[in-house]
Order: sequence, then structure tokens, then C-alpha cells
Amino acid sequence: MILADFGTSYTKFIDLTAPEPVPYLRATKELDRDLKVDLATGHNGKRFSSHYVNELIALARGGESLIDDDNYLLLDCGSRDIKYIRYRDGKLQDMGWNAECGASMGFTIELLENYYNLDFNTLPIPDKTFSVTCGVLGISSIFDEITSGMDESAAVASFVKGIAINAFRFAGSPEKMYLSGGLCDNRLFVESLPCEVVPLGRFVLLAGLQKIGKLPATD
Amino acid sequence: MITLPSTEEISAFLNESNFQKAGIVGVPPLAVIRELNQRRIEILDLDAMLVLEDMESTVSLLPRVYCAILRTVVLNAMHLDLDAIFIDTGPGKCDGAMHVATVLEHSMDIPIIRTVNSDREPFGHPFCRTQMGLTDKFLTITERVKSPSLPENPPPPCKPTAGFWGVPPRDFSILSLFPDTTHVYGWTRCMENKTPANDALEAHNNMDIPTVFFSQSFCAKTALARLLARQHPHALYLDIDVHTGSSAKAKIQAFLELSGVQK
Repeated sequence: MILADFGTSYTKFIDLTAPEPVPYLRATKELDRDLKVDLATGHNGKRFSSHYVNELIALARGGESLIDDDNYLLLDCGSRDIKYIRYRDGKLQDMGWNAECGASMGFTIELLENYYNLDFNTLPIPDKTFSVTCGVLGISSIFDEITSGMDESAAVASFVKGIAINAFRFAGSPEKMYLSGGLCDNRLFVESLPCEVVPLGRFVLLAGLQKIGKLPATD
Repeated sequence: MITLPSTEEISAFLNESNFQKAGIVGVPPLAVIRELNQRRIEILDLDAMLVLEDMESTVSLLPRVYCAILRTVVLNAMHLDLDAIFIDTGPGKCDGAMHVATVLEHSMDIPIIRTVNSDREPFGHPFCRTQMGLTDKFLTITERVKSPSLPENPPPPCKPTAGFWGVPPRDFSILSLFPDTTHVYGWTRCMENKTPANDALEAHNNMDIPTVFFSQSFCAKTALARLLARQHPHALYLDIDVHTGSSAKAKIQAFLELSGVQK
């Protein structure tokens, strides 16, 4: 049985028929168009399975599987959108999904890292923060600062910090958050969030699918 | 300052005219609806999607960033062959409608008749509280705006499992996501009650059921929707513009499912 989270940039899989199932990644643009999986989520997921789970439901169920707490905020930062689930006393309290004006943040961060040949795990956290509400619109701030003499890496770092602050505010400015998605591996982004952060990695929605399919969770 | 015609003046005006087809915006006073019905003038609710024309054709008259309901009013007015428009511009509708009335007066060759509905006599709101598909519920409530009489056989109330607070959305497609036992609150309830300016009834909601607080983007009611959603223990606030995106539909679906509401 194969479960998959079809993201914009990356698709996350787990093959539960494998002797020791381990989640793995593939670039979405490299997927076979005829691929079919048993249970899917993610914004591209409906094309690849007849059993589709809404991304917010997969995120919520993933949080229930992985977080040993009744009160928490779980934020998922993807390539094209950001979404969060807030639980109080073990029950859903609030949620949000920003696919429009919070769009393309993760995608733009990766694009900039490659374009400027940067390593976000070594860049220092900048003092300056750009006011960024959209990945695409935020790029103009970078270009403005670079033309004003700012170092390229410092400008991009300020942009990434701006994205982190925007995501934090979108999630309701919590004191602590659990973070889901590929940006968990981006030290600059994680340390720019002005709160306690518990990174859960890229496979939270897969854990949600396992719970929905009543399958044992895999590390 | 614009002087509003009295009901008597509207009646005298209708005596001198030979109107066949009138548009209404918002909920004009019951006396006006009664006059139109008695004279067998066909009523078209311009808040509803009545034509399939491109919304972009309204940009010469209204900004793109404007309430989608009022943009729809202008779209309908531009493309329907109407003899007059009765537009409610009081607190039972909105300031936006008042300005749209001015826009229509400057761009249409038909009478634009402003009203202020301050009716206080409650008609009841049985369709807001009965078991019925939410889309059908809204179609019935919005259709009944054109009628001056009580429903002949009001449907019985049901026990609510979910709530929908707000105005009738421009795009009804979100309504199919809700269970038949969804109760309707907010301005839609005021509308069925024929008291559109009843702000106490508009603010009423049920704290015991998961409720979606909906408003059209750029509508002044977004402030009230957000306040009520913050005060409610189990709420989802949504504002939607012309069309409902997949993320908004997914939010409603997830909210209801994670709240344990059965479709």
C-alpha cells in the first residue's frame, strides 16, 4: 500500500508493503504521469489516486499522531501555501490556509537559494526584516536593496526572515509552534521564527494519511 | 443631500408609470414589495447571479476591488432590460449600495429609486432553521424576498448540527459542503424575517454548534463576522470574493469533518 503527499515541488511517499517502510521524496516534476497510489493528499493528489484526503485534514490527523499534547499550533509551510491547525483541549479550535497572498513562499526561498548559490544553513539571522506577504511580490524588495548596495546574501536573508515573520503572524503569533514541511530543514527560516519551534519534518501529512487509513505510524 | 421618496410617493409614481419589470437590490420595505406585487410587476433580485456576462464588463462603472454582490448588481443592471430599480440604501443593506445607487443614476436611463427599509415586524425565519439542503434553503430564502406574504406551510425546525452565519454568498457552491441540518444566521436570517436592519438578530448565533462565519470580501460585515468568530468557541471565519477557491472549500470541509459534523 503506497501513501503519498503530492506537493507542488516535492512528493512524499511511503510504501507500507516494504519490509521496513521509510518515507522518501521525489521531485514532483519528475513523477510518472500514470502513477497511481492507494491514498493521497496534497494539491496535486487528486490526479494520482481515487482516494484523496483534504490537506488540512491530513495535517490535523498527522499532528494528532505526532504531537503528544492537547494544546498546540501546527504550521505547515509548503512550496505554494501555508496552513495551520490549532488544537485546544484535544479538539480543533482554529485553522487557516493561505494559498493566495501567502503564495509561493517556500518555492521562492528555494529558487533564491539556487539562483544566488547560497546555503541557508550557514547564513546569519539578519537584524533587518523585509515586510513580505507574498513570495513573488517580496522579490522586488530584494532587488531594491541590492541596487541600493546591500549584499545579496544579506538581502535574501532579510527576505527569508520576512517570510518567517509573515507565517508566524498568519498562525496567530503563538508562543510555541510545531513546524511541518521542507522548511524545517532551513535553519535560517526556523531560527527567524520569533517563538519556540519544534520541527516535525516533511512527512507530517503522510503520518496523517497513516492515521486516516488506520495504519501504524512510521518514524 | 438625497431625499428619499415616501411609500405614498412611490405608489403615486407607479400609478403614472407602466412598469413591467423592476430590479430590487437588498430588501426594500415590505410596502414597496407589496406595491410591486399588487401591480403584477415582475421583480428581479439583482443581488443574485441572473446573467452569464463577464464580470469584467463592470469595470467601467465599479472598481475591481469591490464587493462581488454589488458588482453583480451592476452587471445585472447593465445586461437586463429593466424599467426601474428599487435599491435599499439604509442600514439594512450597506453604504456600498448607496454609492452604487449613485453610479446607476449616472449610467442608466431608468429610474433608480432609493429606499430605506426600517421594517420591524418579524415574519419569522423557518427556512433558516429547518432540515433542507443548504443550497435549497438559500434559494428559497432569497426567492422569498420578492414575496410580501408569509409562507403557506412553514417547514418545521430541526436540531442544528452546524451553523452558517452571513449574507447569501455570491457563489453558492460552498453551500453544498454543509449538512442539511445547518441552521442559518446573520443577515440571511434578517432577510427571511423581512427585518434587514435588525442588528441584534444579525449578531445572533448559536455557541453550541460549529459555525462558519462568512462574509463577502470587501464587505463592511467582515468586521462583525471576525468579531463573532473570535467570540465563538468553535468557529471558522471565511471571506470569499467572486468565486470560491479550492482552499476555501477545503477549509470548510476540514472544519466540519474535524468538528465531527456528519454530512
